[in-house]
Amino acid sequence: MRDMVEHMEGINRLMARYGVKFGIYKNREFYEQLFPFDPLPRVITAKEFAYLKKGLAQRVDALNFFLADIYGEKKIVKDGVIPEDFIFSSKGYLPQCEGMMPPKRIFSHISGIDLVQAKDKSWYILEDNLRIPSGASYPMIARELTRQASPRTFMRNHVTDNRNYAGMLKDVMDHVNTGGINVVLTPGRYNAAFFEHSYLAERSGAILAMPQDLYVEGNRLYYRQYQGKQLPVGCVYRRISDEYLDPLCFEPESLIGVPGIMDVYRSGNVALVNAPGNGVADDKGIYYFVPHMVKYYLNQEAILKNAPTYLAFYEEDRRFILEHLKRLVIKDVSEAGGYGVVFGSDLTKEKLEELQQIIIGEPRRFIAQEVIDFIDLDIVEGDGSVPRKADLRAFVLSGKTTQVWASGLTRFSRNPDSFVVNSSQGGGFKDTWVLSQ
Amino acid sequence: MKRLRFRYELDLKWDQAVWDHHFLIRCLPVENGCQHREALDVRIEPAETIDVVRDGFGNEGYAGAIRRPHDRLFFEAKGVVQVDRSGETEPFHPMYRFPSAYTMPDEGIRQFFGEIGKELGMESVSEGLGPVQEEPFVSGAPRLAPQREHEKGRISQSKLEYVMNRLYGRFVYMPGATTVKTTAAEALSLGQGVCQDYAHVFISLCRLAGVPARYAAGMMLGEGASHAWAEVWLFDQWLGMDPTNNRIVDETYIKLTHGRDFGDGAIDRGCFLGFAGQSQEISVKVEEIL
Repeated sequence: MRDMVEHMEGINRLMARYGVKFGIYKNREFYEQLFPFDPLPRVITAKEFAYLKKGLAQRVDALNFFLADIYGEKKIVKDGVIPEDFIFSSKGYLPQCEGMMPPKRIFSHISGIDLVQAKDKSWYILEDNLRIPSGASYPMIARELTRQASPRTFMRNHVTDNRNYAGMLKDVMDHVNTGGINVVLTPGRYNAAFFEHSYLAERSGAILAMPQDLYVEGNRLYYRQYQGKQLPVGCVYRRISDEYLDPLCFEPESLIGVPGIMDVYRSGNVALVNAPGNGVADDKGIYYFVPHMVKYYLNQEAILKNAPTYLAFYEEDRRFILEHLKRLVIKDVSEAGGYGVVFGSDLTKEKLEELQQIIIGEPRRFIAQEVIDFIDLDIVEGDGSVPRKADLRAFVLSGKTTQVWASGLTRFSRNPDSFVVNSSQGGGFKDTWVLSQ
Repeated sequence: MKRLRFRYELDLKWDQAVWDHHFLIRCLPVENGCQHREALDVRIEPAETIDVVRDGFGNEGYAGAIRRPHDRLFFEAKGVVQVDRSGETEPFHPMYRFPSAYTMPDEGIRQFFGEIGKELGMESVSEGLGPVQEEPFVSGAPRLAPQREHEKGRISQSKLEYVMNRLYGRFVYMPGATTVKTTAAEALSLGQGVCQDYAHVFISLCRLAGVPARYAAGMMLGEGASHAWAEVWLFDQWLGMDPTNNRIVDETYIKLTHGRDFGDGAIDRGCFLGFAGQSQEISVKVEEIL
């Protein structure tokens, strides 16, 4: 381990050279910042991982059933398990996707599930990310570099190799491919996760495509090569969000979309990874209902627990929230990336009252959760180490079967008082080791 | 039952050439229990690649692309439609219960709705303007959505006609006062607009009253431009209401698209490359075959 700490600076320097960066928009300007790597890994035992694996696969399977149901028969609504309000007035619900069934019936191919471990060692799901969850490339390249820097560390410790992620991704794309090449569609250089787009394309053998490289003709999607040759595309791992994907279907002023791609998709002539419209299932409000989905679709009890959550929408919960606001964390369901999250304990009396009024005015918009006192992980600081809050983004890939990647992105907050670990809020990351025995 | 002969023409012109032009034109009369296409003839010029597509709302249209430089796109659909309002409409969909981008109510719309509610002696409706109250959470069991106003039978067609009439009185038909981007809230505060704005405000009011409503675009008897109105879900059917003309939609209307609002139901959409000014002419003619 000391080896790794000694190499920390060198590894971070190499990462900067490779472009392992994270872009953020602040006041409408684009800044790129390094995503600092901490060499002390999060370690998950084989037994613990076996448990997580089962729980995560179960959760993602239920979410995939849910998506197929919502854009199809809507049985879960008709049976009264989830109120309509949480589905059809959700920003993530896209009526344009009504009646669509993606190739092989898979909606969420790549799911990023965020978890935390409480002080009593039990795990809680924080949120599901089923649209375009980013982050797998960071532990991939970190492992690559740390193995080079300190081969001894990996000889002494039985760490499951995580460099198979690209292979898993390729298998998923091949499985849903409708005939043609695989491409990774990036909006371009000024996207927050451009490093990841190019890295995953290279590692999975897919072509990295910009929007103008793709075009629709005769209800098929093609990739335009430099020499003017056209290649049919069978699967698009798109890293462009739904609303910008097709100006003829969604946001009409999008310049980064591929006009007509949704019609090709509706005809079953191309696979989109992940399916458009998934936002209806990873909304912070719908999160509350995921354990109900597991029960409803799989007839099983959810293995992994949600953090205790209250929905302001329900009167009784709302009363509870207003009464205990000070000890809860309040989340705006329409925001993502660590925005719109407020800790009651940080607020002054006036601010608390203001928030109470906002919640009474728009209860559908808010959920409240108990603050989970999650464990600290040590990070290197100066010559020693300090404890910091950290979460784990696990990656679940749904193809022929549902698989959980034996690694994950561990993000930590550099601010000792903060629980918010999102990379867009300036945190760093660690490798995640899953022990093989 | 009426038989209507129609012609829909869309003529797009640019002052300089454009290229890589993709378009989606949804101007086929809807095929449902009330409308049947007896004859249809479509012409698109210049046509390179054309596909017939259907969207998530059930609308049909033509999607196409013109790659080479061009300065005009001419589209014509003509044919004969049988209209019979006693037929079955499309099934219900819960998305039409909730506010959408163009129909999000603001203070002005809520206030107007409150006034109307009082006049109708429906104060309980205006009190219920806030979010729907749910039953308390009992022992982890999932909770059912509560009954909405229209399911309780509190809103009748005559009350909705009253709402429409009030809007008709409050609003002035004024072409040019609004644009395709004007929302219901903006239109009501202006107090003027065109059929799209009438429809948006009316839809917003209906949804506040707990009545699912949607936007319909199409044509009506006579000669002129295309038209827009609202459809409300009442007694297990979609009923067309035309607030611009303060009347119930009858067999002289032909529906082309529907959606939550104009954004979903726009008849034509397109994108192209080029630095050109665009002009658009739509001409519609509908006549009854006696």
